[in-house]
Amino acid sequence: MTNFLSRHGMNSSASLAERVLVAARAVILGKDRELRLALACLMARGHLLIEDVPGVGKTTLAHLLARLLGLEYARIQFTSDLLPADVIGVSVYDRAAESFRFHPGPVFSQVVLADEINRATPKAQSALLEAMEERQVTVEGETRPLPEPFFVIATQNPLFQVGTFPLPESQLDRFLMRIRLGYPAAEQEKALLAGEDRRSMIARQQPALTGEQLTALQQQVVAVHAAPAIIEYVHAILALTRSSERFLHGLSPRAGLGILRAAKAWALLEERDYVIPEDIQAILPSCVVHRLAASEYGGRLDEDAVMSEILDRVALA
Amino acid sequence: MPKRTIPSNERPERAQILRITLILIAAYLPLGGYLAVQISAFVGLLFAIRLASLRWPAVLPGTLPLAALTLIGVANAAVTYQGWSGQNAGTALFVSMLVLKLMELRRKSDIRLVATLIGFLVVVEFLFDQSPWLVLYLGAVVVWGIALLVDLNGGLEEPRRRGAVKVAVTLALQALPLTLILFLLFPRLSAPLWNLGVDPSKATTGISDSLEPGAISELVLDGELAFRARFEGAPPAADQLYWRGPVLWETDGRRWSRGEGIANSGTAGTLLEAGRSIDYEVTLEPTDQRWLFALDMPNSVPDGAFISSDHQLIARQAVSAVKRYRVTSALDYRTAAPDPARLAAGLQVPEDVTPRMRRLVDEWRNRSETDWALVQSGLQFFNRESFHYTLMPPSLGANPTDEFLFETRRGFCEHYASSFAVLMRMAEIPSRIVLGYLGGELNRVGGYHMVWQSDAHAWVEVLIDGRGWVRVDPTAAVDPSRVDNSGASRMLGAGPSVRFTLEQADAIARFVRNLRLFADSLDAAWQDWILGFSVENQLALLERLRLGELREYGLVALMLAALGLTLGVLVLASIRERKPFDPLQAEYARFCGHLAKIGLARVPNEGPMSYARRVVAQRPDLAPTIERFMDLYIPARYGPDDPRDVLMALSDLLRDFRPRSASRMRDLLRRSR
Repeated sequence: MTNFLSRHGMNSSASLAERVLVAARAVILGKDRELRLALACLMARGHLLIEDVPGVGKTTLAHLLARLLGLEYARIQFTSDLLPADVIGVSVYDRAAESFRFHPGPVFSQVVLADEINRATPKAQSALLEAMEERQVTVEGETRPLPEPFFVIATQNPLFQVGTFPLPESQLDRFLMRIRLGYPAAEQEKALLAGEDRRSMIARQQPALTGEQLTALQQQVVAVHAAPAIIEYVHAILALTRSSERFLHGLSPRAGLGILRAAKAWALLEERDYVIPEDIQAILPSCVVHRLAASEYGGRLDEDAVMSEILDRVALA
Repeated sequence: MPKRTIPSNERPERAQILRITLILIAAYLPLGGYLAVQISAFVGLLFAIRLASLRWPAVLPGTLPLAALTLIGVANAAVTYQGWSGQNAGTALFVSMLVLKLMELRRKSDIRLVATLIGFLVVVEFLFDQSPWLVLYLGAVVVWGIALLVDLNGGLEEPRRRGAVKVAVTLALQALPLTLILFLLFPRLSAPLWNLGVDPSKATTGISDSLEPGAISELVLDGELAFRARFEGAPPAADQLYWRGPVLWETDGRRWSRGEGIANSGTAGTLLEAGRSIDYEVTLEPTDQRWLFALDMPNSVPDGAFISSDHQLIARQAVSAVKRYRVTSALDYRTAAPDPARLAAGLQVPEDVTPRMRRLVDEWRNRSETDWALVQSGLQFFNRESFHYTLMPPSLGANPTDEFLFETRRGFCEHYASSFAVLMRMAEIPSRIVLGYLGGELNRVGGYHMVWQSDAHAWVEVLIDGRGWVRVDPTAAVDPSRVDNSGASRMLGAGPSVRFTLEQADAIARFVRNLRLFADSLDAAWQDWILGFSVENQLALLERLRLGELREYGLVALMLAALGLTLGVLVLASIRERKPFDPLQAEYARFCGHLAKIGLARVPNEGPMSYARRVVAQRPDLAPTIERFMDLYIPARYGPDDPRDVLMALSDLLRDFRPRSASRMRDLLRRSR
């Protein structure tokens, strides 16, 4: 990092987060930026969507994060015949008690790994996505709270693949970040091929944080300072996406809040207790691109083009 | 000859070429009605070529055909107007050359030139017409042109076109107060600049100075406005609104005329008695004639006019532009008796008097003791016999008066007035015919009367002993049940207009009528306040503002002061819109400015830390200062603490910060060795 900026007493929390990152880097090679983004997302209490072709380590990353954060987790493999009950749970008649008893589904876990979420039908998708926003599930008239903390780490295949049901924008908006992993660089790929099986590596991992430490980190994120100039900058970005002809619709206020929260988490990872414009710029692609749709019918947004459009045209004073 | 290449950012876009063509077409359209067909044909051909060239670039003429087209254009204008002088010829030549410029729009600057010249074209068009509608239309064209200029200058955000229009409208609105100041305070010449006697006549014919069958019925179907009249106080009753025009003395039985040497001669007609006077102001549309219209009887003389011996108001010069004058008329009056020469003229009878006409008059004479009683007998004749009022009378043969009186008995005011005057003269009562307008439509929106060409009328004046000339309207004597209203939409040509007007009861007709009244009052206000704003009005305004002492140079100074003040307010308002001043941001801007001078300008979207890192990577020698600056600046700007303490330190730091460019550093190093 920079060698000329004084640090502002964030060492304890920063080192906590750093501990998670060090452990994660040992398993997932050469993806430092993606790991930081994923961690920032979880520190900002946001849900994470990992999108890429099969086999680049999406599920491994999700597993690893759950493990390192010391959270109880469940995995749902989304398929086209998945039913909402498979996610939420079902009530089964208990002969002995002579009543129905609710068997909670995998959604009642602190970390839910929703694998290949876009392989399931919209009905099954929405069962999970509703739980994400409300952080509670209503089954047969009874509202049941979900555990705390509650994260959904979903993976999805690129939309152009066969047999996928794209998530509607309204549901994509609920993911704070969408990241892509991409193929590893040559050096790292060779190390991966030569190295140990990742599954067993994850199984061996010890949690890097306790539950209290995670909660403390999340509270520190909220306390990070965002100066008026930063608020102005975020607002200018939102306004630009709303007035630009390239996008079908602009970013929602929820997206704006998400950007700010993610930037605060990123600032914390950078050992600062205030946000600077670079934090916004760092997290912006992963927070923004999945929430925007191209204005022309059937048009697809090129991620780089979107970012350069937004960043080039919002000037900093 | 080597062709100079044009840089791509100077090459006009297709859409811009299309737009300048459309703007020029829009600007030319109003001129089409004033210039000769040949000019419009030439210009239209050029427009067509330019538009077609957007699809098929090959149709654009090369250098030689272009030169030929230029010659044709010059010749076309010269031949059409037989020379170069005059408003029409000059305009035609200018327009032809301007449109030719469309053929060579190679650079953006060409479009700029055309757009600017369109501004001149707009000014020229106001020499032809100054109606408020044209002002609105050309105003829109100008804004459109400005939008194109804004677009050409670039630097607009998407969506570009909407942005350009927005800028243009803003500019136009900002120019509005400046326009107002220039309009009110620019020192005026007493005479219009373009009053050079070359402008084409825009006068409508209106009433002529003779009367023959069909002369008035033509006018009755004419929808043009003759004049407007604004009364001070309550207007007179509708049957008093006889607007007096030319007075006719001489007849050959078919045609009435003023008579050689009779009209305009002699002394001013005076009124022996005058009661119930009424003041009003008339705004007369151009007629190219010298007579002015006034209510019976005019009793005062406006500037630049006189009253003839037969009480006609006559201007010293033909009315070639809208003319406004104030008159006082006496509604009750007694005129002086005419001199003997006129008396003889008032008794002249055409040659084609028939025995049955003679018998009719003799019978009246026997019945009546006085002249006035005889006049009444005549009127009763028209009332009792089966006379019909119609706009479409049957055509009359060799002796129209006789035929009308005894056979067809269908006609309108000119028939009635003419035959009545002849009959009176046969009875030795001096008579004359007066042409003018009757009635007028009250415009409630504008509070004035509108008198239309269709209100044209003819009536008779008879000389009665002791009473002078007395107005008699034989048309009004026709029984109302025998008035034929079909065949004309507005029946105001005869009798008191109120009596003959069809009641327009249905709502749409009323709405249309009100709309027309509103439009006309707008037109009148335009005439009053914009076109009629003269030196006198200007001085009156200054008097009211207690600035009456200011003349010429003083006026210029006042104008400049007002302009400066307005501009100042506009500038201040635009500054105010900017964000509040942030001293920290200002220091940062200074810092960035220093670095920009050595070629390390900040990219607009670059955050402070990335910027610092980039600069340090390129110029490690600057690292200490930059690191110290950023260490202070970033937490102060973005951190939670109060930045005030840091400001001093920052400006101290910047005071000594004069980075030198890398090349200059090398020079210095070399020299020191």
